[in-house]
Amino acid sequence: MSAKTLQYEAEGAQILLRGIMDKSGQNLLACYQCRRCAAGCPVGEETGVTPDRLIRLILLGDREEALNNLLVWKCVACYTCGTRCPNNIQTARITETLKQIAKEEHLEPLRPRIADFHSAFMKAAGHMGRFNEIEGMGIYEVKTAVKELKKGNVGAVIEEMKNQAKLGMKMMKKKRMHFKVDKVKNRTEIKALYRKAKAEKGA
Amino acid sequence: MQLAYYPGCSLHASSELYDVQCKMVFGNLGIELKEIADWNCCGATAAAKTDDFLAIALPARNLGIADATGLSEIVIPCSSCYSRTLVSQQRLSCDPELKAAINAELGSKVEGAIKVSNILEVLKPRVASGEMAEKAKKKLEGLKPACYYGCLLTRFPCDVTVTDDVENPQGMEIICRSLGADPVDWSYKTDCCGASASVNDAEQSLLLMSRIMKDAEARGANCYVTTCPLCQFNVDAYQEQVAQKYGLEKRLPVYFITELIGIAMGFDAVGMQVDRHFVDAMGLLKELKLI
Ligand code: SF4
Ligand code: SF4
Ligand code: SF4
Ligand code: SF4
Repeated sequence: MSAKTLQYEAEGAQILLRGIMDKSGQNLLACYQCRRCAAGCPVGEETGVTPDRLIRLILLGDREEALNNLLVWKCVACYTCGTRCPNNIQTARITETLKQIAKEEHLEPLRPRIADFHSAFMKAAGHMGRFNEIEGMGIYEVKTAVKELKKGNVGAVIEEMKNQAKLGMKMMKKKRMHFKVDKVKNRTEIKALYRKAKAEKGA
Repeated sequence: MQLAYYPGCSLHASSELYDVQCKMVFGNLGIELKEIADWNCCGATAAAKTDDFLAIALPARNLGIADATGLSEIVIPCSSCYSRTLVSQQRLSCDPELKAAINAELGSKVEGAIKVSNILEVLKPRVASGEMAEKAKKKLEGLKPACYYGCLLTRFPCDVTVTDDVENPQGMEIICRSLGADPVDWSYKTDCCGASASVNDAEQSLLLMSRIMKDAEARGANCYVTTCPLCQFNVDAYQEQVAQKYGLEKRLPVYFITELIGIAMGFDAVGMQVDRHFVDAMGLLKELKLI
């Protein structure tokens, strides 16, 4: 985290806090910084910002830092923090909320691959109604490759393709790869739900 | 008896073996699994991370279809599908407005009547009743599994009834012991393997898995057993990579709980597709003369 001085600005802080509390359904005001969550967070060492810190950033109204830290992207939604929190605060719901806010505001994710993976998954799942591994992985790999190529990282793309090919070969050998496309018959219903989801966001 | 059954996408794809095994084992216990019609993907963690509405609505469609079967219980073997479906049902029971909004789009409306069960909830009582022992033909002697639960069988983002001890679940141990296996006591049984991070945040996921695998090895386990196709895939498919990077000595097969039960019941290993694991899963069974 940067060592900047933060000007506490009450109104802005309130808006940020209320927005996140509403959307995530978590009572951040109940946090008394006991850090039980931090002790059990499996990615805490790598992210630096642990669940308690993230909550503190939001309470202090540090919008930029709250949306731009590694925990938001690297949280694996293991629900350890929330299960152990004496005040029942589920930080995974907070990181999910922050990811969604970042997306709505078109902020560049700190970890684009993670964001791209989840959106590729939803695209594939929405397309056929069922998630087909080849289709989902295909969308994701193309997305990632295009981004890396734009940055001129040809090496990264080759490395990724090699790794995926290796896994693919292993899966073929073990008959774990499936080429038959699995789909829902009543896809109109799935499409309607996706449409409603879009409308809910607009509202 | 009949139970409604939701396989989920992975049991129709890379983890088809789990689907096959569930049907065999449940069938032998006198339970017919009725796959619900035209089910859709539950959205897994991706929906939760990207879209609050779809995270509830996608499993809701399946719940509506399940309610319409008139059966009293649905079993969902994949931990992720189970978690998302249970959470959706709970959310809808306390948010009638959201329920109405979703039901407006559905042919089969969600009532919320059906009981959503994980695989251990169905199997455990069969140990207590003696049905499991009655069907078991072999003792799984020499098998020392590290029972791996992962995150989603005992930890939830909201208030639902948890069916086992949150920090130290025992369901798989109870089943394994009843079949003559000797599960190890270990510390990482509910730790996270990283789920899809194995694809989109590989270094992180390998680190998480290395902690799990180091403990299993140190505790003297000779295999893993799990109920979740995602946990199974990760610990199996990435084990070699983790082992090389973090210096593990052994490679341990990663069984589904249904595989161990099936072996004890005397089913053919190849018929159960035990030969489709990444880390060889046949060798240990042969070595212990279980097949
Ligand atoms: S465990 Fe709960 S109360 Fe304690 S610091 Fe974490 S979020 Fe706050
Ligand atoms: S849910 Fe996220 S924040 Fe909470 S312990 Fe797990 S990884 Fe850490
Ligand atoms: S959790 Fe995974 S396997 Fe289960 S339905 Fe959802 S996408 Fe498919
Ligand atoms: S251990 Fe991994 S795959 Fe299993 S439930 Fe947890 S995150 Fe999902």
